Amino acid sequence: MVVLRYMRRPFFAIVLVYAVGITGMALIPGRDVDGNPEYMSLFHAFYFFTYTATTTGFGEIPSEFSDQQRLWAIFCLYTGVIAWFYAIGSTIRLLQNPHFIQAVNERSFARTVKRISEPFFIICGFGDTGSLLARGLSDHGLAAVIIDSDLERIKALGLRDYKIRMPGLCADASVPKHLVDAGVKQSNCKGVVVLINDEDVSLKITVMAKFLNPDVKVVCSSTSLRHEEHLKEMGNVTVIDPFEIFAQLLSMAITHPWLHNLNSWLVRAHGVQLGNPLNVPTGDWILCGYGRMGQWIDKYMVGQGVRSTIIDPDAEETAAAGRLIRAHADRKTLERAGVEKAAGIVACTNSDSDNLSILLNVQALNPDAFSIVRQNNHENQLAFDAASANLTLQSSLTTARRILKYLISPLIQTLIDHLRTQDEAATQYLIRRLNNAVGERIPHLWRANLCDSEAAAATQLLKAGGELRLEDLIKNPQQPTHALASVPLMIQRDGQCIMLPDDSEQVLRGDEIVFCGTEQGERMLLANLNNPYTLYYLATGIDPPRGYFFSWLARRIKTRDMAPA
Amino acid sequence: MNLERVIFGFFILLALTLNFVFVVGEIDNYKHHNVWVLTIAILVSLIATGLKLGDRTQVGALLLAASLVTDLLLITARIIWIVAKTDVGLAPEAMVTIVSIAAGALVANIVSAVILIGDTLMSRR
Repeated sequence: MVVLRYMRRPFFAIVLVYAVGITGMALIPGRDVDGNPEYMSLFHAFYFFTYTATTTGFGEIPSEFSDQQRLWAIFCLYTGVIAWFYAIGSTIRLLQNPHFIQAVNERSFARTVKRISEPFFIICGFGDTGSLLARGLSDHGLAAVIIDSDLERIKALGLRDYKIRMPGLCADASVPKHLVDAGVKQSNCKGVVVLINDEDVSLKITVMAKFLNPDVKVVCSSTSLRHEEHLKEMGNVTVIDPFEIFAQLLSMAITHPWLHNLNSWLVRAHGVQLGNPLNVPTGDWILCGYGRMGQWIDKYMVGQGVRSTIIDPDAEETAAAGRLIRAHADRKTLERAGVEKAAGIVACTNSDSDNLSILLNVQALNPDAFSIVRQNNHENQLAFDAASANLTLQSSLTTARRILKYLISPLIQTLIDHLRTQDEAATQYLIRRLNNAVGERIPHLWRANLCDSEAAAATQLLKAGGELRLEDLIKNPQQPTHALASVPLMIQRDGQCIMLPDDSEQVLRGDEIVFCGTEQGERMLLANLNNPYTLYYLATGIDPPRGYFFSWLARRIKTRDMAPA
Repeated sequence: MNLERVIFGFFILLALTLNFVFVVGEIDNYKHHNVWVLTIAILVSLIATGLKLGDRTQVGALLLAASLVTDLLLITARIIWIVAKTDVGLAPEAMVTIVSIAAGALVANIVSAVILIGDTLMSRR
């Protein structure tokens, strides 16, 4: 409608010019072939004006013009053409108006979002973390809608080769209208992910999202402790602090190396081999940089009883008394901190060049030390790859992985927490099993739902009073002695969660089973769950008769055998 | 070896071969095509259809559909034979229609057999 209001003036201009031109043309006498005076009909006048004003110029139709007519034709031509240019110019100006473009983009974005039928997430902020997260979601076949206030990032989004189409809007996500456009009120919106460094904006988005749809999951990356506390007060908001997560993972690597290995493998961390855990030494450590990451790591290290010397020029004297060296982490300071004897070193200042130079010094002074380095900027990836530290923390990657895990398979975290309370042997057993099933391939997590629509054959068999065990489901129908590449991790039943169920566990209708394996494993398992004959064969070892006739025959033979001779 | 699969395979392949036996020959020469073979082919095809009833898989549904097509075409061919028959045999025009319809049924029979073989090879046990 805005368009029509904007076009009112050019429209009136054209109507006026046409009216004057056509009326004049109809009133001015012409001559027919015999020289008698003749007036142009209104229709012919309109026809003449149309081709004249649009500069088509068919000539003098229907008969040669008189001089008066020609005079008027000149007038018609100039006014008509000017009116058209004016109208076209106005339209082009409107189309180039940035506000108009924004309005059109918003509308088409809202329409695209409304048409999404599968579950989707809203990602606010498309920086390093946002694009990693979008990539991860796309790899798992999940849709996302992206809002960022930076036009360049939204333009870049259009060039990504995601498997799933991700609509993007350049707008301020803290404006409620834009959140609604992004589908926050839609029932298939499964979560809002806020990845914005500005605390106020990120807080505002969280509040707006909560107001607009109280049921929606909100995940927020934290930027400071104060911010984190604000967010936690809101309830039902998951706050992701990459530094704390990294410190937790590090402490897990010290106490539960196998579990740490399993976790990194499940989140598809780069270069992780299943069954090849990191060996983090527990001797004396050196911590360069006592910012947020340094403090978190120190806290968890102290918790594990690991002593560390801290080097930071700006740290307060009172923090970590007795262990603090207030200096830049150059070669001399490192030597003073005892780098030759250190078991490990953490370079976690907020400057990539400082971190890399610390790493260089350490590799020269004590090449055996376990090195952990913080990478602040995604662009420096190549340099960090070349530095080959034992562990690299890239906060955007850590955040993206954790959010992905939380959104896609929140139960995996439960499993990891469960395994933490168990004996290390349980983890090792699971790792061996996963290694056999998946090996070098990419791990794939999925959930099999034993309901009528997703596992028709299984529910039928169970309804008919049959029994199914977990091991029956994962047999390979082509070689029943072999298992498919699917390892059951847990069963959800009546709100309860059975962790690492035994293979002889009976499955029931309505169970939700979480598997880890390969994508092919999932397809084969789904085929098992939906083919009544295969499933019966796997469960009993007997090929059931197919079709009415053979079923009848089988029943006949059975009753005859049972009857006394 | 599974007796059920033997019987099932036997009828499907027999239906195919009988159909072929009927179709072979000059297309318009009624002496090259035996009405008895056509009738038996219909019978065997009907039995095969019966055996396919009640299979709850996708493959089973496809097999049944192919069988129904065969029945329909062969029975049509037989009816045309009855209608067009005169004392001196069949006119070449009528014979062409009958044999080409039976050839259509042959295609459906081939599809049936291919599905059966594919399904058996897939299960590999």
